[in-house]
Amino acid sequence: MSVPATLLLPAASLAALAAGCAATGSGPAAPVEGVGPPPVEERAPQPPPAAATPAPRPARGPVLALLDRSRAAERRGDLEAAAAAVERALRIAPRDAALWHRLARIRLGQGMWRRAEALARRSLALAPRDRALGARNWRLIAAARRARGDAAGARAAERRAEALEGMAG
Amino acid sequence: MSARRRRRRRGGRRRGKAGRGWPRRLAWRAAVAALLLLAAWTAWLDLRIRSEFEGRRWELPARVYARALELYPGAPVGRRALLDELARLGYVRAAGARRPGSYAVAGEAVLLHTRRFRFWDGEEPARRVRVRFAAGRVAALEAAAGGRAPALVRLDPVLVGKFYPRHHEDRVLIRLQDAPRLLVDALVAVEDRGFWRHHGVDPRAVLRALWADIRARALVQGGSTLTQQLVKNFFLGSERTLRRKATEAVMALLLELHYGKEEILEAYLNEVYLGQDGRRAIHGFGLASHFYFGRPLSELDLPRIALLVGLVKGPSYYDPRRHPERARRRRNVVLGVLAERGVISRAEAARARRAPLGVVPQPPALAEYPAFMDLVRRQLAREYREEDLRTQGLRIFTTLDPLLQAAAERALTRGIAALERGHGLPRGSLQGAVVVLDAGTGEALAVVGGRAPRFAGFNRALDARRPVGSLVKPAVYLAALVHPRRWTLATLVEDDPLEVRLDDGKVWAPRNYDERFRGPVPLYRALAESLNVPTARVGLAVGVPAVVDTLRRLGVGRPLRPYPALLLGAVSLSPLEVARMYLTLAGGGFHTPVRATRAVLTAAGEPLSRYPLETEPALDPRVVFLVDHALQRAVREGTGRGLAAYLPVAALGVAGKTGTTDDLRDSWFAGFTGNRVAVVWLGRDDNAPVGLSGAAGALQVWGLLMRALAPTLEPFAPVEPEGIEWVRVDPETGLRADSGCTGSVELPFIAGSAPAERAPCAGAPNPLRWLRRIFE
Repeated sequence: MSVPATLLLPAASLAALAAGCAATGSGPAAPVEGVGPPPVEERAPQPPPAAATPAPRPARGPVLALLDRSRAAERRGDLEAAAAAVERALRIAPRDAALWHRLARIRLGQGMWRRAEALARRSLALAPRDRALGARNWRLIAAARRARGDAAGARAAERRAEALEGMAG
Repeated sequence: MSARRRRRRRGGRRRGKAGRGWPRRLAWRAAVAALLLLAAWTAWLDLRIRSEFEGRRWELPARVYARALELYPGAPVGRRALLDELARLGYVRAAGARRPGSYAVAGEAVLLHTRRFRFWDGEEPARRVRVRFAAGRVAALEAAAGGRAPALVRLDPVLVGKFYPRHHEDRVLIRLQDAPRLLVDALVAVEDRGFWRHHGVDPRAVLRALWADIRARALVQGGSTLTQQLVKNFFLGSERTLRRKATEAVMALLLELHYGKEEILEAYLNEVYLGQDGRRAIHGFGLASHFYFGRPLSELDLPRIALLVGLVKGPSYYDPRRHPERARRRRNVVLGVLAERGVISRAEAARARRAPLGVVPQPPALAEYPAFMDLVRRQLAREYREEDLRTQGLRIFTTLDPLLQAAAERALTRGIAALERGHGLPRGSLQGAVVVLDAGTGEALAVVGGRAPRFAGFNRALDARRPVGSLVKPAVYLAALVHPRRWTLATLVEDDPLEVRLDDGKVWAPRNYDERFRGPVPLYRALAESLNVPTARVGLAVGVPAVVDTLRRLGVGRPLRPYPALLLGAVSLSPLEVARMYLTLAGGGFHTPVRATRAVLTAAGEPLSRYPLETEPALDPRVVFLVDHALQRAVREGTGRGLAAYLPVAALGVAGKTGTTDDLRDSWFAGFTGNRVAVVWLGRDDNAPVGLSGAAGALQVWGLLMRALAPTLEPFAPVEPEGIEWVRVDPETGLRADSGCTGSVELPFIAGSAPAERAPCAGAPNPLRWLRRIFE
């Protein structure tokens, strides 16, 4: 699957789950709603579902749209609006580790060091096996700690990041 | 504001030289004095007018909004829920849904024209979309006119309450440019034809009125201009004396001197008295539109506008709810006048005359969500003065979910009634409270403060502090499982008589709910079956202070005394505090502050404060994972198994705990799914026994509630932290099992802490094993 792993993290784990559920088949993962197409196409209008569709899971479309809005606000320099858009996305997908990371980054940009670290930790807890995202979270925590004068803590966080980067590479 | 340049009235005249006989001088002086007095009076009126008109003109109640409903593919909103929300928003059902605030139902889909709304994070445009549903959720959004479908649509939020000024005046401010043209024209045509020409008083209208009065030999017509009416409403009482008439005329002239017609008209539109709702006075067309028609002024059609204009003459006499026939006649008179004066055509008037009044039933009383509003007020009280909340017209965006709140109220009132019947309790004796939070964000979605949810009395959800009984037990096990070398979910604990001599010399001898002892039981079962004696043993071994510390980390803010009895629930908390605790369990050990407010804006829409999403790591996620697993078992096979009658508990992964206190005084249930944390308390206000255990009482209400919410629930499937391993164990021995052991269970362990030793049933060749496998 050649999908940007960080963005589609929960979707990817969903796919993994679906693959797991589909027993030991070695073929491609069974299609799961909101996983297949790349992000851009996901925002295209969806065809009306067949009569017997199971309960649709929250699709990526709204979350991606809100992320777009968040980035646009960030470019305008309106970090509070950027955060509000991510919070709105989190109400839709509260277990999306990438969203928590993004909120942490915005808080870091606002100089809210402790809040940023706590949010990054939540992101870590929600995707303990995503090494790339984990490394980014630890880098963010290191930056937050350094900014508030905790050099030792920052170094410890950096070591966690490096370890993950080593494994990921 | 573009106030016209002030023209100062001349104060008085310079006194001439006196000295020609005292009577004349006296008369002269009297005249001067009278003039001075008149001038002073005028100046005083002038001052009053300017200070009142220019200062804050109105004390505006704060408006409190519910959460805005979000629609997107996959949103947990069914068709019925959407229609319910639209009804609360006053959307009109109209073919084609051509105007904002309308919708049409087409088979299983809903065609919707949303309203434009300004949120704290930007404006939501009006949109026309078709919403399709499947399995109780939104399946797809389609642009109604073709083209790209929006990724998500946010409805305007339901206005759920207000914080009123002390005099209970209410209004929804409108700007003149936002008022329908038709309303303004109709108002001028009917109430004050000469408005755009006169200087505050219209002599021709006075003469006309006088002539009408003479012909009728009674006071039938006022001849007051809109300016005079405004002055009367604004500054003067309603008595009809000549002196008051004179004051009114002078003030009207002064008002016109200082301010433009537009400003005066705008003030009039907002000030005019148009009805009464109990203690609440309905002022202004903006509010009247909501009060009578359940929708904003901009969405009114001709007959409704005519009715509102007609009401100016006598809101109680023509009250369309109490005297619909009078109101209809008055409206038709207004329509006639409008046609006569060319504001509308005769055909339009004729059509409008045939229209029904279109008045909605009396809107529900204002204290619709007293318990939730109480929570909002308390959270805001940290930053806002009570006075500002009541008078500044703040716009408060809350987290209340009206649909969920309605479900919680229904579950509590029906559950209580059924329990009273089923258990032969005196009717009306049982009380209760419900709190529902969003598990991901900690937002308060519903708060029910008692069995009569509209009654703004004792708010049990926030203020009833009751012993929590077994709800405290997860904290005991969390404190123990932090030491994986000593305790795991498989560790056996003795369930046999226990006596502890306390510092004060007394003996504490905890007993199980069923007064039985089971011998050694694994830890997970002690929690799932809520056994008191093993819990007390574990708690005493780990130390009461460690348990107190764990409670604090879970979010219990109040100081707790580390007595052993605390281990079994001798700690009094409100339902909201319990919800906070279980929110931390649902959040994998992250503490999230409970929020009832998202943002506060000024009356003009400027952001004042935002209440952002925060989270704090509070407990080791691995330990929380273990306890959550045991709480899921509590629902599947322990004290919470009664929930299976309401919900597919295994599929939903429901985790929860019952709580019961001495002599069955309090009945609790606290639990969560993937997206909802809910707590139910039942008991009596006088603290007398109710005869209900947590399972017999509160659990039933919890089940009723969650069954109603079922289509919107997400399963609780916690992310497994790193450093967890799953091992099958034999619960009899707490040792490693394999498929040869009957009744073995698979449990999570902190890596390295699982039992190494095999149970007697495992490993050893057993002639029965292959046989058993065949039958399994």
